Amino acid sequence: MTDVQETLPGSTLGRRGSWSYFAGRGLEYALVLAVALTLNFALPRALPGGPMKLFGNPEALARLTAEERAQIASEYGFGQPLWQQFLDYLQGVFTLDLGTSLADGRPVTEAIATALPWTLLLVGTSIVITALLGVSLGVLGGLRRREGKGAGLLAGAIALDSIPQFWLGMLLIVFFGVKLQVLPTFGVSDAGVVTIGGVAEHLILPVVTLTVTGIGYLFMYTRSSLLAVLTSQPVEHAHARGVPRGRLVRRHVLRPALLPVHTILMLDIGFLAAGSIVVETVFAYPGLGRLTFDAIAARDYPLMQGTFLVLTVMVVLMNALADLTYPLLDPRARTGGSR
Amino acid sequence: MRRTVGALAATLAMMLTVCGSGGGTAEGGQTGGQTGGPDRADTLTIAISSDEGTLTPFTNETGYPGNNLVKLIFDPLATLQGEDVVPLLAENIETTDNQTYTIALREGVKWQDGQPFTADDVLFSVDFYRANMLGDSAIDVRPIKDVTADGNTVTMTLNGPDPEFPRRILTDMAILPDHLWKSVDDVSKAGTELAVGTGPYKLTQYNPDRGYTFEANADYAMGKPKVQTIKVVVIPEESAQFAALRTGEIDMSTRIVPPQQMEALGNQSGIGLIDGTEFASTIMLFNTERPPFDRVEVRQALAKAINVQDVVDTALLGQGVPGSAGFIHPESPVGGKVIKSAYDVDAANAELDALGAARGADGIRVLDGKPMSFELLVQSSSTDRLRSAELIREMLDAVGVAVKISSLDPDAVTAKVWPDYDVKNGRNYDMSMWGWSGPVMLSSGTIAQLLYSDPADGTLNVVGYKDDAVDATLDQLTSAPTLEERTGVASKLQDQIAEAMPWVTLYYRNGAYAFREDTYDGWTWQNFKGALNNFSFVDYNL
Repeated sequence: MTDVQETLPGSTLGRRGSWSYFAGRGLEYALVLAVALTLNFALPRALPGGPMKLFGNPEALARLTAEERAQIASEYGFGQPLWQQFLDYLQGVFTLDLGTSLADGRPVTEAIATALPWTLLLVGTSIVITALLGVSLGVLGGLRRREGKGAGLLAGAIALDSIPQFWLGMLLIVFFGVKLQVLPTFGVSDAGVVTIGGVAEHLILPVVTLTVTGIGYLFMYTRSSLLAVLTSQPVEHAHARGVPRGRLVRRHVLRPALLPVHTILMLDIGFLAAGSIVVETVFAYPGLGRLTFDAIAARDYPLMQGTFLVLTVMVVLMNALADLTYPLLDPRARTGGSR
Repeated sequence: MRRTVGALAATLAMMLTVCGSGGGTAEGGQTGGQTGGPDRADTLTIAISSDEGTLTPFTNETGYPGNNLVKLIFDPLATLQGEDVVPLLAENIETTDNQTYTIALREGVKWQDGQPFTADDVLFSVDFYRANMLGDSAIDVRPIKDVTADGNTVTMTLNGPDPEFPRRILTDMAILPDHLWKSVDDVSKAGTELAVGTGPYKLTQYNPDRGYTFEANADYAMGKPKVQTIKVVVIPEESAQFAALRTGEIDMSTRIVPPQQMEALGNQSGIGLIDGTEFASTIMLFNTERPPFDRVEVRQALAKAINVQDVVDTALLGQGVPGSAGFIHPESPVGGKVIKSAYDVDAANAELDALGAARGADGIRVLDGKPMSFELLVQSSSTDRLRSAELIREMLDAVGVAVKISSLDPDAVTAKVWPDYDVKNGRNYDMSMWGWSGPVMLSSGTIAQLLYSDPADGTLNVVGYKDDAVDATLDQLTSAPTLEERTGVASKLQDQIAEAMPWVTLYYRNGAYAFREDTYDGWTWQNFKGALNNFSFVDYNL
């Protein structure tokens, strides 16, 4: 357990004092954001090709004169000097004006605002189920590690963790969609009609895919965290003092064991939005993942920057949230580790 | 002698390839209904692979299927019916010299918002396209020198005689409503409120996340829609599209059925296939500016080592036509002919020996002091091309030429072969798998752009080929005043291409599309457009 605890974000609280701690963390996050913003700007432009293909079919583009090309590039902002583009981009980020999509002329914020709720619904549902199942099974696997059930759970988790999302998604489509014909295979609702029942029905297969492929990792993390606590000195002492097993587990094992799981879960939420790109593409789910995929395929710089920004912010935000909520869960973090 | 365009086109009419493949398969070039399913439907759901924007001629994202969907909303003056140019918004199209076209417009046609269609709309459209050339369905109207109207008759005068003008421009130029488009400044931002044409279907709903809904235009003057509502949904993944077709969630997939899935899909109850000739070409480029590919003898020898029939049989499982060495599709209206590949491994070896390219210790030939070891670029997204590249590697290995296959993202290949779609930027590759879309085979002008030495004219010359004799032939081809003369020059050009071998034409893949025959079987094959074309949805009375 000590290895895990020593790296926990809240464990330095007492050394610096709360204000200096928050200022330090704030600076760290600002630095991370600055690097991420720079990468979000640089990565689209580092890709081979460019957004010119969005302005006509290749045969028509080939006929354009150098002046016409320059005019398009300048008009749509990708022909200006890089430093100018970067400044415009930064200004846009801080004024929440992320520009317009080169592909369809929509404001990037509007495209993201339309897609994000679908991703939050998908990822949110999946993370809740993944957390409940993954943590419960992880605890079970840890407590019964010497029994056949525990070993079976571990083997199952390793297997689930290694399943590619694309493969599982297609398998589910073929089995539940094509063979049994009991579940829809694409989209968020029946074409043109959005109903709660339809949305729920369309959510099942993508959520199952995300959950099944995400559960193994959480199981293994919970299990190893639990094992570390079970073999720690305080628990050994409590056991030696004759504390009943049920009470021992509830009071002395679960809480410390689940603290790092909480951190990893928060980070998972941030990363899942990006991780849903494959699932959203397989199931034609119109969320942020698919928007990102389409933006990359089209080399739509403003849309790529916008979606990358949201994904970055989600990861950083969840990281910060894990930092902030950790002291609430761990009294030692509130008191700087002194007891 | 005055000739109607219909008569001109009739001289071009060719027999369509019939590629039926057993039960449940509709045959190319014929109307649907062969498999016994209904030829009317209330609602059809069609899957496309990506969003197509607001479906104006300036905002659709792709030629196929984007332009096909735009043409449900917007009519051109004429249309292709089979191989014939047939007047559509025009009542009649006449020319005496292939330079001045007199177009009598159809009376009583209305825009989908109820306004009358007039000659002013045609004049406006030509001017508008001239000022706005960007957009996937935008038309290059620069060949039109002047356009005037007298009552309901429009006269278009070209810069020079162009017998291909009706097929190339009149059948493709979507006519825009003057009253809605005259205030448009930025075509890239044209919204669905501007997706109003005279066509058989109205766009009634568009959501970038969920797709499109079209409703039949009850006032359509040129025919009767066969389907009341067409829903178009976006499913990016190929296998997910075919899965949705199997479940009955969609009624048609706009993806070409991969060869390895033809049998499985065709044998499934309720699913039909419609297939026919596609004009898209798959070729292997030589960078003719880079040694040793700047030597025609080297290109010829390597081309002789490649068995295009084997590529079709193995990579496409026979679902394609082996490439003619002269490049132009044998059924192309430009006058394609079959020039058989000169595949002959012994001859390839002998020619390489004659060049002094002796084999080294590792079996790889050495030419001019350098091993004949080259990189072949291939688009990672194309299974067919990846397989073809593997086969080519084996074939060239057999004559002592080593090939390293680089499988890259399609944009990465384009960035090396055709940086920024501008041949003036040069090129950076040895050999590359490549393909030209079907419409390239539709006109002499476009074919000429593939080979002109001067980059200003050879805007598609991605191999950097330069040859004065070919340039002279291209001049003849693009200036010949009649179709007959152009066909004759095209024949000579194909002989020159087969001799110079700036690329190896590997194959023309067949088009095959899957649909639910139990819900709708009115699909009609149209060359250059496949099954997703207006004749699949409308009973025309042209």
